[in-house]
Amino acid sequence: MKRSIAIGFMFIALAGLVHTAQAKGDDFGAVVKLIEQFYHVKHKGIPFLARAGIKTTTTLARIAGGPKRQLAEAGSVKVAYFEDQDFNSKGSFTGFRASMGAMLADSWSPLIQVASPKDDEQTYIYLRDAGEKFNVLVVTIEPREACVVQVNLSPRKLAMLMRSPDDMGKEITVDATTHDQE
Amino acid sequence: MKSLSHTLLKLALLKLASVAVLVLLGAAATAVAQNPRIQTSQLDALAAKASQTVDVNIDERLMQLTARFLSSKDDDEAKVKELINGLKGIYVKSFEFEAEGQYTEADLEGIRSQLRNNAWSRIVGVNSKREGSVEVYLMQNGNQISGLAVLATDPKEITVVNIVGPVDLDKLSELEGNFGVPELGIERSKPKRKN
Repeated sequence: MKRSIAIGFMFIALAGLVHTAQAKGDDFGAVVKLIEQFYHVKHKGIPFLARAGIKTTTTLARIAGGPKRQLAEAGSVKVAYFEDQDFNSKGSFTGFRASMGAMLADSWSPLIQVASPKDDEQTYIYLRDAGEKFNVLVVTIEPREACVVQVNLSPRKLAMLMRSPDDMGKEITVDATTHDQE
Repeated sequence: MKSLSHTLLKLALLKLASVAVLVLLGAAATAVAQNPRIQTSQLDALAAKASQTVDVNIDERLMQLTARFLSSKDDDEAKVKELINGLKGIYVKSFEFEAEGQYTEADLEGIRSQLRNNAWSRIVGVNSKREGSVEVYLMQNGNQISGLAVLATDPKEITVVNIVGPVDLDKLSELEGNFGVPELGIERSKPKRKN
């Protein structure tokens, strides 16, 4: 009897550990899921973007740490794209912002949050310490599309972008999702 | 007899404990009062009515990181590096409204009550090229400036800028357009000439 109780406690403790690890490790996935649930939309992965004709060669190269990578550290880019869907918040964007803030509060710090309810546009940038680098999470929501990007940035690149936090989200998103004009 | 001394001892201990609690509460209140970081969360309720909201939080660690990694060899970077050296945080919150009357003075009271504290002093003789009212406050510890706060309002806009650390008006005007600090157009008003 005692043994089964001990095993039960161990199981609960392990389950708790796994849950914590998932929560800490995959905040990117959790944010994507939150957008899906809040706006009743579905994200598209990179392969779908390729089929849609979006120039993903560079993005994929960047994901693999390829030569066209500029801002993000090699292999660090995560992108989820929501295309041609309805992101009308009907004035409830504060609810979305609060939910995301609560979800990320334990390990991420909000750097900048910009919302234009009238235009249904929102941009959020969160930062997290990742040893010698920084994880940067950028969430951009527009009336018909949205994008979630997570990258690792070196402290120097982050420092350069910090001068203009307003443009930072756009620069990171563009860097991660479109191809360079070379 | 024994129970009487016991009761007296208990009363004395209780008194001591309440004095200790009061001292601690006083110390905590002083610490809050002299904190150059002003709390702006009470304005968040206005977000639902605003046509645009901006919230920038650059804390001490990020400030130091930025200062450390900007190059001293590049003229532009060196200038910014010098500008933010010693700063412990930049916090900006702004709300733009489509129409007038979307906020009241009561909404601003939470900010103003913090700035009315003795630790803050309003700088007089400051003008802004922007329309509306601009109030600039400094917090000083002795001769050292420990923080600056700007409350800029017009009928369709509220902006609160809070810079923690050694900062003055000249530095503020140089910071405008950088690190999320909006263009406030702040300048010292020139003394009027007597005819």
